[in-house]
Amino acid sequence: MIRRSCLTIVVLLISSVLSCAEEPIRFNRDIRPIIAEHCYHCHGPDPSSRKAGLRFDREESLFAARGAEVATVVRGKPDESPLYQRISTADLDDIMPPEKAHKPLSPEKIARVRRWIAEGAQWEPHWSLIAPVRPILPAGDAAPIDRFVRQHLAEAGLEPAAEADRRTLIRRVNLDLTGLPPEPEAVATFVADTSPLAYEHLVDGLLASPRYGEHRARYWLDAARYADTHGLHFDNYREMWAYRDWVIASFNADQPFDQFTIEQIAGDLLPQPTRQQVIATGFHRCAMTTNEGGTIEAENLAMYARERVETTSWVWLGLTANCAVCHDHKFDPLPTRDFYAFSAFFRNTTQSSLDGNIKDSAPVAPVPQSPADEARLIALNASLAASHVAITARRETLNSDLNAWLATQDATKLHALINAAGAPAVHLPLTAATSDGVLTGTTAAGQAITTHAVKPVRDWDDAPAGKAPRLHNDDDTTIDGVPDFGRNTPYTFACWVMLPAASSDTGAILSRMDDGDGYRGWDLWVQGDQFAAHLIHRWPDDALKVHTRGGLKRGTWQHVCVAYDGSGSVAGLQIFIDGTAAAVDVEADTLKTTSLTTAPFKLARRKNGGGVATVSLQDLRIYATRLSDEAISRIAGAGQFATVLAKPAAERTAADREVLLNMRVMSDEPLRQARAASARDEAERAAIMRRGAVTHVMQERTDATAVAYVLNRGQYDQPREKVEAGVFTALPAMPTNAPKNRLGLAHWLVAPENPLTARVTVNRLWQEFFGTGLVRTTEDFGIMGDAPSHPELLDWLAAEFRDSGWKVKSLIRTIVCSSTYRQAAVATPAKLEKDPANRLLSRGPHYRMDAEMVRDVALSAAGVLSPMIGGPSVRPYQPEGVWESVGMQESDTHRYQRDHGEALYRRSMYTFWKRQAPPAAMEVFNAPSRETSCVRRDRTNTPLQALVTLNDEQFIEAARLLAARILTLGGDDPQHLDAVAQRVLSRPFTPDEMAVVQGSLTRLRERYRAAPDAVTALLALGETRSADTLNQVELAALTMVCNQVFNLDEALCK
Amino acid sequence: MNSSADLTRRQLLARSAGLLGTAALANVFGSRLYGADPTPWMPGQTHFPAKAKQVIYLHMVGGPSQMDMFDHKPQMQAMFDKDLPESIRNGQRLTTMSSGQTRFPVAPSKYTFTRSGACGMWVTDLLPKLAKRADDICWIRSLYTEAINHEPAITHMQTGNQISGRPCLGAWASYALGSLNANLPTFVVLVATPSNREQEQAISARLWSSGYLPGEHAGVSFRSHGDPILFINNPDGVSPEVRRETLDGIAKLNEIAYQRSLDPETRTRTLQYEMANRMQASVPELTAIANEPDSVMQLYGDQARIPGTFANSALMARRLVERGVRFVQVYHNNWDHHANVGGRMPSQCRDIDQPCAGLIEDLKQRGLLDSTLIIWGGEFGRTIYSQGGLTADNYGRDHHPRCFTMWMCGGGAKGGVIHGETDDFSYNIVKDPVHVRDFHATVLRLLGFDHQRLTYRYQGLDGRLTGVEPAQVVQALMQ
Repeated sequence: MIRRSCLTIVVLLISSVLSCAEEPIRFNRDIRPIIAEHCYHCHGPDPSSRKAGLRFDREESLFAARGAEVATVVRGKPDESPLYQRISTADLDDIMPPEKAHKPLSPEKIARVRRWIAEGAQWEPHWSLIAPVRPILPAGDAAPIDRFVRQHLAEAGLEPAAEADRRTLIRRVNLDLTGLPPEPEAVATFVADTSPLAYEHLVDGLLASPRYGEHRARYWLDAARYADTHGLHFDNYREMWAYRDWVIASFNADQPFDQFTIEQIAGDLLPQPTRQQVIATGFHRCAMTTNEGGTIEAENLAMYARERVETTSWVWLGLTANCAVCHDHKFDPLPTRDFYAFSAFFRNTTQSSLDGNIKDSAPVAPVPQSPADEARLIALNASLAASHVAITARRETLNSDLNAWLATQDATKLHALINAAGAPAVHLPLTAATSDGVLTGTTAAGQAITTHAVKPVRDWDDAPAGKAPRLHNDDDTTIDGVPDFGRNTPYTFACWVMLPAASSDTGAILSRMDDGDGYRGWDLWVQGDQFAAHLIHRWPDDALKVHTRGGLKRGTWQHVCVAYDGSGSVAGLQIFIDGTAAAVDVEADTLKTTSLTTAPFKLARRKNGGGVATVSLQDLRIYATRLSDEAISRIAGAGQFATVLAKPAAERTAADREVLLNMRVMSDEPLRQARAASARDEAERAAIMRRGAVTHVMQERTDATAVAYVLNRGQYDQPREKVEAGVFTALPAMPTNAPKNRLGLAHWLVAPENPLTARVTVNRLWQEFFGTGLVRTTEDFGIMGDAPSHPELLDWLAAEFRDSGWKVKSLIRTIVCSSTYRQAAVATPAKLEKDPANRLLSRGPHYRMDAEMVRDVALSAAGVLSPMIGGPSVRPYQPEGVWESVGMQESDTHRYQRDHGEALYRRSMYTFWKRQAPPAAMEVFNAPSRETSCVRRDRTNTPLQALVTLNDEQFIEAARLLAARILTLGGDDPQHLDAVAQRVLSRPFTPDEMAVVQGSLTRLRERYRAAPDAVTALLALGETRSADTLNQVELAALTMVCNQVFNLDEALCK
Repeated sequence: MNSSADLTRRQLLARSAGLLGTAALANVFGSRLYGADPTPWMPGQTHFPAKAKQVIYLHMVGGPSQMDMFDHKPQMQAMFDKDLPESIRNGQRLTTMSSGQTRFPVAPSKYTFTRSGACGMWVTDLLPKLAKRADDICWIRSLYTEAINHEPAITHMQTGNQISGRPCLGAWASYALGSLNANLPTFVVLVATPSNREQEQAISARLWSSGYLPGEHAGVSFRSHGDPILFINNPDGVSPEVRRETLDGIAKLNEIAYQRSLDPETRTRTLQYEMANRMQASVPELTAIANEPDSVMQLYGDQARIPGTFANSALMARRLVERGVRFVQVYHNNWDHHANVGGRMPSQCRDIDQPCAGLIEDLKQRGLLDSTLIIWGGEFGRTIYSQGGLTADNYGRDHHPRCFTMWMCGGGAKGGVIHGETDDFSYNIVKDPVHVRDFHATVLRLLGFDHQRLTYRYQGLDGRLTGVEPAQVVQALMQ
C-alpha cells in the first residue's frame, strides 16, 4: 500500500519535471536549495563539521579535480559525477546524504540534479550577495511593479483581480499609511471624486499626515527592540522615549534611509553632531541590559556586543549572523572570525556592564524640557567651558610664583587652614600604635578612644605622614564611639587609603553596616578600579549607592572622602579622590528609610565580613557635618603638604611640587570665586537636567580603538585571536580610508555596492503592505532563507530605492499606487489552488491587523483617540496582576498603576512596554516582547484574541463611546446601524448584513429592556462617561452591536 | 519557484487552528486546497510509543539547595567552618557575589535526613510526606549546567539554551503532540506565590514563550487572582445570552464576507470565536476548586484552598491534566538562598511537601500517574561553602551549576531509581552526570520523541530543544 503510493508520487513528479523540460535549470533557483539543505551541513562553509574535505558552497571546490580523483561534478556528465553517483546509488553504505542525517533526497530532487549536470552544471553565486542590478522591465504599459507581477501570474495561468472598490481602497490605504481608518467624510469625498488622480491625491495627503510617521515608526521600533524597561532581572524603568520620538520625526520628515541608518548606527561620531543625531544612536541602546548581582562583567559585555551584531545583521543585512557566534556559519559564508570582527564595532563604547537598575544608565543624552532650557543648556555649557579655561589660567599664574608664596607658609598656618572646618567627631591619625598593637584617637570633645581587634596591628607601610597600619578583613578591627548616621544626617568621612598593588578584590574599607540584616548601615567600598559608597536600609530596594568611574589606583596612596548632605537623595552623596569630587555612576537611588544600625564601626570589613583582604589607612577623620568641597580639598592636601614643605626645595620632585601648588590653589581667593561661579552654573545645569528627560545613547571610548577577541564557542572566558573591527568578508570591503569604527560601519551599510541593505529594506517595507515580503524570511537572505517570489521585482525596487536617494515615501508611493496593491482581496477557486498563500499576488492583501492597529481602530471609531505625538509612555487599561505576577518585587515596574484621562486613549505605540510583561492585550495579538529585534511578527488566529476584543474593558468602552456618538446624532435604527458600519468598516451594510444586525439590535434591546441592572453594569465600564440624557437601554443595545461589529473578521483585517 | 516558500499544510493547520483539534479543521479546509503533506508527523504521531502523554513541570525558581534537601552529606559535619579544599573547587568560576570572599568555609547542612523507601533515598526531614513517596520517584542527583546566574540558567532549563528566544519545553510539547481537548489551551502556566517572598528571582513571560515555534504554542498563563485566563469572563452587564446573540451575528456576518472573498481565514476566525465561547463555558467549572471533596483537599493540605499557593497550583495542575491540558508548568519562587538558609528552607519545604506528595497520590488514584510525567527541580544547585556569615544554625549558599538534584515521577519515569552521585562536598559529580540537554532528551523520549528528529525549521536550521551539542537519553531513568 505504502509502496504503491510512493510509486505514484514518483511518476507524478517525473512527469512534472518532464512537462517543464523546455525551461533550463537555474542554479540559484533550482539546485542551490537542494545542496544547501541536504549537503552543506557536512560539505558547507563550516570547517569544523566538514567531512572528507569536500565543500559544495564554492564553485572551485565543486568543479576542480581532487588530486587523482575526478571533480565532484563533471559538467555535462551526470553518470561520471560522484555527486550524482552518491545521491542516486542503491547502496545504503554509499548513499548521500547518509541515512543517519535524516535528510533523504526525494526522487524529484535527484532527477533535478541530474538534469542540471546534464545541462552543463551552470554555477551562480548566492543571489543576495550579488549587488542588485536594475532588471529590464517586462513589456507592457503597466507600472513596473505590475509588469513583474503579471509576468509571474501569466506563467501560472492566473489573472490579477479587479481593482478594489473605492471604499475598500481608501480604508486599506489609510490603514497602511497611517494605521488608522478613514473618517466617513473622507470616504464620501473619495467615493465622489471622479478625477483620474483622485487616488494619488489621497495617497499624497496621507503621506503628509503626522500619523504616517507614527505608523512607520511602529514597525521600526520592533526592529529596534524599543521598550521602556531594561529587560533582565529587575527589569526596571529605562528612560528611552526620546529615541522613539526621533524615529517618528525622522519618518515624518522623510529622512533618506541612508542618513536614517548613519545617524542611528553612528550619529555620535558625526562631526559636531546635533542633539537629534546623538539621540538617534539610541537604536543600539534599546538592547536589553542586566544588573543582576553576581553576573560577570566580561560575560555581560560579550552578550551586549553579540546582540548588537545579530540585530544589525537581521535588520540591515538579512543575515542570521547569530549562527556564527559559536562556529562558522553552516550555510552562509560567515566565519566566526567575521562575527567577532563585526562585534568589535560595538565593543568600544563607554557603556557599563551593569545598568545600575536606574532609568538613566550612562551614557545618556539630556532631553531638555523646552526650547528655552535647550538654549540655556547650550549657554551654560559654554560658560562652564570658559570657567574651566579661566581656572586653568589662574592656576598657571599661581604656579609661576609658587616659591615666593611657599616662603610665607609654615605649619601653623597650615593647621589653621585645616581646622577652619572644625574638629572632627572622631580623629584617628593612624600613624602609630601602642606597644600591644592598639590604635588610638580622639573625639571632638578631646576624649581618647581605642580600637579593639581580634588580631592587633602587625605591619606598617610608608604613608603620606610617616607610617600607616596595614589592616586585614580577618583582624576584625572595631572602633567604639563612632557616631552613627541615618538618612537625614549629613556627614563626611575622609582618610588615606592604599590597597595592595597585586590585589583586585571587592570589599569594604570601613563601615558601620550589618550585612546580616539587609546590609543596613553605611560604608566605603571598593570594586575593581572604583571607590563606592553605600547608605542602606535594605539592599537594594531601600538604598543609595554610587561608584566612581574608575579612579582607584591600587599600590598608591590616595585620599578618599565620602560626603553626604542628609538629603536622602543620591545627588547628595559624593566621593572625593585626592580632594576633587569624582564623577560617579548611580547604582541605587531608592533610600526611603533610615540607615541607622546597631552594627559597630569597623575597619577593613562589615559586621560579619565582606571586607577587602588587606588595606592600609591613615588620618581617618569623621565629621558630623557635610564639609565644604574646599575644606575636603584642604584635608586631602594637608598630610602631604606638611611633609613636602619640610623637605629642602632642591629635593622636591615634580609630584611634590604639584602637592604644594594644590595647597596654594585651594587657598586662593580669585580661584575660590571662579569655582563658586562654576558651581552655580553646574547647579543650574543640574536643575535643567532634572526637569528634562534623558535618553540612552552610544558614546565611543576615546582611550581605545575598536578591537575584539574571537570567543571560542562563544564563551566569554575563552578569548582567542584578537581581531580589529571589520565587516563580513563575503561582502564588499570597507574603503581603505574609512574609519574602523561605527561611522565606517554605517557608511558601509548604505554604500551602493552593498548587495543587501537596499534589498532587505524594500522587502521589509513590502511586507508592511502585503503581509509577506517578496522574500518571506525577512531576517534571512542567506542560503537557507527563502528565495524571493519575484526576484526581478525585488531587484528593481532595491535599485530604484538606492539610486533615487533612499527616499522612503517615494518608494511607498510607488508600492501603494500599483495596480497590484489596489486589487480586490477576492479569491477564486483557481487562485486558492495555485496561489493559496497569495505569494503570486493574484489578489489584494487581506489579513488580520497588528495588535496596535486593532486597538487604535476601535479608539478612532469611538472618537476618543488622542492626537498627541510622543512623550513618556502611558499605562492604559490592563487587567490587574499582569505585571505583579512576573518579575521581582523589588522592581520599580512591579506594580502597574493605570493612568487616567487622555493617557487611556493614546495610540497603542505609546503604551508602556515592560519587557517581562508586554502589554497583555497586545501580546495576545502577537506583539513581540521587544526583548530581541523582530522584523517579522507572527500572525496567529486564536480564541484568546477573540476574548480580548469581545471582553477587554477598553474595547467595551470603545463600543459604548461609538454607540453614544451615534445616538447623540438622533435618527432611527437603520441610520444608527449604517453609522456603525461607516465608522468601523468604511462602507454601508449590504441588505443581507443589515438584516442580521437589525435582528441582533432588536433582540438585544429586548434583553436589556428586561434587565435594567445589566444596563447599568454595562454602561459603568470605562472611565469616560456617556451622557445620562441618552436612552440607557438603547445605548446598551447599540453598544453590544458595536462590540459585534468590532469583532467581525472584516473589522479586524485590513 | 522554490516550494518551501509556501506554507506547509502542517504549518497552516497549526497556525490557523490555534487550539482546535484537527477534526474540527476538516470542516474548514478542503484537503484539496493544500496538496501533499511534507511533514513527517501530525500532532499526536510520535516517533516511539509514548509513555507520558501529559506533563506537570514544577520549577523551583532560584535554585534549591541540594545538600539541604536530597544530596545527603553527613561527612560534612566534621568539616564545619573548614576551608573547601582547592582540589575540590579547582578554579571553578564563581559569581561575583562570592568571588571576593577570602575563604570558602564549609557549611554542613543543619537538617537531619531519613533514609526513605525501599530504594533508600536520603530525604531531608523537612519533606516527610514526599519522602514516603520515595519509591514512586526517580531521583537524579547529578544534573549539571553551565549557567551560573538565574536569567540564563532558568532560560537554559526551560528552553535548552542560555540565550532567550528559543521555545520552551511546554511549547515543544504543544507543537509535537497537539491538543487533547477542545475547550482549553494545550500549554498552561501557573505562577505560585511562596509563603516567604524574601529572595524571589525574576521570572517572565519569555520563559513560556513559543520562541521560534508558531505563536499558538506559547503557554497560556492562568492567573490566581482576577480572570483565570485574561478576559475569559464576559464584561459586567453582558449575560451569556447577550454574548450568544453577538456571536451568532458575528458568525452570520463573517459567512457573508466569506462568500464574497473566499478567504478561508475568515471562517477560521468564526471557529476561533466559538472555541473562545466554549472556553468561557468550561473555565468556571475548571476553577471551581471548592467543589473538590474533602478527601482530595486533604491530600494537598489546607493551603490548597487559598488561590495562588503552591498547593492550590498543584491541585489546579491535576484538574488541568484531567481535562486534557497537555503541559502544565508551575513556578514556585524564593529558592535563592544566598543567606539565611535556616530562616527560609523550612517554609519553602512546607510549601511543597504535602502538595507534591498529594499530587502523586491524587494522580495515582485517578489512574493518571502512568501517563502523566511530574518533573521537579530548579535551574542550578548551591555551594557547600557558606556565602556570608557562617554559624552552626545559619549560613548562605551561592549558585552552583556543577551539580544539583531533580526528580521525576510517573509518565514512564522509573520509580525508586537513585541516579548519579556527587563527591563528599556535593561539589563535583563523580558518577553518571546528566546534563540539562540529556535530561531534555530523556523527557522528550518519555513523550515518544527522538530529540534529534523533533525539529522546527528556523533561520535555515532544524532547531531542536537539545541544540547542537550531543545529548544522551538516560535509559536508566525510564521504565
